[in-house]
Amino acid sequence: MELTVSKVDGATIIEVVGRVDGATAKEFEEKITEGVPDDAPGAVVCDISGVEYISSAGLRAVLVVAKRFQKLKKPFSVCGHAGPVAEVFRISGFEKIISMHATREEALASAGG
Amino acid sequence: MLTLAEEIVLLVLDDSSGKFVHVPEHSFRYALSGAVLMELAFLDKVDTDPEKLFVLDSDPTGDDLLDPVLKHLAEAAEHRDVSFWIQYFGRDADNIRKLALRRLCDAGVLKVEDDLFLWVFKTRRYPNRDGFAKKEVKQRIVSLLFSNDIPDPRDIAIIGLADACRIFQRLFSRQEYERVRDRIAEIRQLELIGQTVSKAVREIELQLAQASAIGPM
Repeated sequence: MELTVSKVDGATIIEVVGRVDGATAKEFEEKITEGVPDDAPGAVVCDISGVEYISSAGLRAVLVVAKRFQKLKKPFSVCGHAGPVAEVFRISGFEKIISMHATREEALASAGG
Repeated sequence: MLTLAEEIVLLVLDDSSGKFVHVPEHSFRYALSGAVLMELAFLDKVDTDPEKLFVLDSDPTGDDLLDPVLKHLAEAAEHRDVSFWIQYFGRDADNIRKLALRRLCDAGVLKVEDDLFLWVFKTRRYPNRDGFAKKEVKQRIVSLLFSNDIPDPRDIAIIGLADACRIFQRLFSRQEYERVRDRIAEIRQLELIGQTVSKAVREIELQLAQASAIGPM
């Protein structure tokens, strides 16, 4: 799994590529904690269009990250989920508790970025 | 910290009598089986997706409730899905329940009043110390259900398992239950193992309902 953090129009973009599973879930959480400090300004968008597989451990990691941002009162959304990955998110009902968008542009627009 | 199996056992014990409340046998079996699998998942020993459950690390955890299950999973010849394993280990739920009860007694949360059938919370006699464990589980669940907070994985697990055992209808008044019903459904869906426990329970109930509609042959 590769994870990069960048700034776009005042928002933080986390771009994830590869597999988010039991082998990489901890790294996913740690890299986001390091890359997006508590006092980082603006919304946070996690772009998973490059994620090819996500397991239960991966979903839990997304949840843990989302919970942290909720506590920090920082708008957080996930975008770019497609194919089997989108299906796993759909089965798990994540869209009911986490803001999810088809594209990064939609996510940024929704966050006001 | 209590394991999920211990927490679910606490939740199905009646505070005043110390006896198990009536919970459909299959629900409790699958809940205990699911609790052990989820605990292994939280320890990064196993992982799941909609098609299969697989072992990530077969090294023993040192926990006598979890290690026999982990060993069995690690030695399995082929990958099976979560539903298969929930039903498989559900057959061994009596042992999980006995072990969880023994551990709760050893930890001073419960005591055996009559070794045949009666288990009593020490809270009745030592309110300052005991009863805390169950109160803590209940408070965690209640505060989450009546808020819009994103739940943490362990809370999702216990809510899914408690729901499979129909615990919420006992914890809440009818009006309260109606208020949190949708939230319970929303939360239990978030965890694939918990979701499978609920599905397995529903399938058994459907089979029982169909059998009772057909009547004795």
